[in-house]
Amino acid sequence: MLSLAARRLFLLVPNLVLLTFVVFAGMISWLGSPSTIMLGQDASPAAVRELDARYGFDQPVAVQYVRWIAAAAQGDLGRSVSTQQPVASMLSPAIPVTLELGLACILLALLVSLLANSIATGARIVQPLISAISVVGVTIPNFMLGAVLIYLFSVRLRWLPTTGWSPWSAGIGTHLMHMIMPVLTLSSFYACSFGLVYRAEYRATARLLFVRAARAKGLSETRVSYRHVLPNAVLPVITYAGLSLGQLVGGAVVTETIFSMPGIGRLLVSSVGSYDYPVILALTLLILVGVALANLGADLLYARVNPQVRV
Amino acid sequence: MRVARWAGLGLVLTIACASAFAPLITGRDPNASGDDLLTGPSAEHWFGTDDLGRDVLTRTLHGGRISLTLGLGAAALGCAIGVPVGIAAGFARGWASTLLTQLIDLFIALPALVLALVVTVVVGPTLGNLMLVLGLVQWPGMARLVRGQSLVLREMAFVEAAWATGNTPAAVVRRHIWPNLARIVAAQFAISVSAAIFTSASLSFLGLGLPPPTPDWGGMVQGGFEYLSLNPLLCFGPGAAVTLTIFAFYVLGRTVD
Repeated sequence: MLSLAARRLFLLVPNLVLLTFVVFAGMISWLGSPSTIMLGQDASPAAVRELDARYGFDQPVAVQYVRWIAAAAQGDLGRSVSTQQPVASMLSPAIPVTLELGLACILLALLVSLLANSIATGARIVQPLISAISVVGVTIPNFMLGAVLIYLFSVRLRWLPTTGWSPWSAGIGTHLMHMIMPVLTLSSFYACSFGLVYRAEYRATARLLFVRAARAKGLSETRVSYRHVLPNAVLPVITYAGLSLGQLVGGAVVTETIFSMPGIGRLLVSSVGSYDYPVILALTLLILVGVALANLGADLLYARVNPQVRV
Repeated sequence: MRVARWAGLGLVLTIACASAFAPLITGRDPNASGDDLLTGPSAEHWFGTDDLGRDVLTRTLHGGRISLTLGLGAAALGCAIGVPVGIAAGFARGWASTLLTQLIDLFIALPALVLALVVTVVVGPTLGNLMLVLGLVQWPGMARLVRGQSLVLREMAFVEAAWATGNTPAAVVRRHIWPNLARIVAAQFAISVSAAIFTSASLSFLGLGLPPPTPDWGGMVQGGFEYLSLNPLLCFGPGAAVTLTIFAFYVLGRTVD
């Protein structure tokens, strides 16, 4: 178990270095010197050169990258080009917002997909219906679903607040009211795609001998389904959930934008709009590292529940 | 399954025709502004008009051209990279196989939308660039599938026989491997198209699509968002079109193999 973790971490570091270097180099060489963005389009070349020299923007890309990553490792992610705030202080309040959204979505999606797709009765109506809903759920873009929910529950029925976000400190009730639609928007895709993966495995497992043995003992269909098939069909869902974490971040970007939640996704969109490259780079680094670590976590969890891969 | 396949194919063809013949269907210019701003659905404007008085139905129909071009182009690029890499990863042995498999695994878990967002802001949102960016996030899925199938094919007796009788690698791939891959590649191609349209619509919803006034589904949904209470069709017209397109290609892909 430990050696598996160590081996995966060992592979992870060079991958991350390579990826962040590509993004960093692409950004620096394509967008030009950040000094031009700081000083505006009309800045004199002399002023740009001076600023370049002061911040080291005239150094080779590799040197700049090493400096950046070394500073980042110590928690210094530079300053925003547009607001002059330290990037780290912009990120720290945004991270918990996105983490909460993401965790709530994954958990809800796992719960709903496993429970709904294990329903043992209703082979003619309930099960095909769930499959059909799943296909619709994986093909409706988050922004469309979010817009539909807002139109229904805020504009028409006026049950839920349109957008915006309310911190925990403003009261748990208000906070949760604001979280309902974002969580539904983001988790529906995952509930449905987990469901499709799980359903295929469920069918294969349900044909195995031990399931027939359980049925022969006289257990009810529901008990056979939830106690015997489910635990044995859940493994591919864990792998799949791990692989889809990267996509979850993408979904969070869209969802936070629709519902104006102050998470890292919306920060990314706003920094992209203003070419605020220190923020973009810091967010890319954060997201890549976060997704890679979460992925590693999913793999280790898989190894934990499935002793066969623990070689 | 068979019904779903024909339904998927029918939907895809309908959407393709609607986009291709968009100018003939409503006979309007998608970028021509009018005097009636933000009107609801009427006999003259079925989906109403937007904040510049443009006909929403016309713009929705025209929006399909961009999405389909992007989706098909990106999926083709994804195939062009993914299929050779997948075959190579499946058939290579030793370090080459490890390296390629690592590469696929690395890219498959990357946050596609985030990378597409960052790369698009760097290179600029033109049609060619967007196709390239979307293709680059599409190939790992294809490569993984092809690799898995190649690993199975590699052990088959007829493939071993083809090697044993002295065929060149190119001949083995062309005559023995490819015919056995074509079907799942075709299925994955359709799913890639749907995923690429999904991502491109998300990008343009976030403001990184083709610049206005090009009619583009994601951007139109975004533009209609603030007028939800005035004319919901401004948002839901193009939104339904993009959802239907993604759905159609997805169903087609899932039912081909």
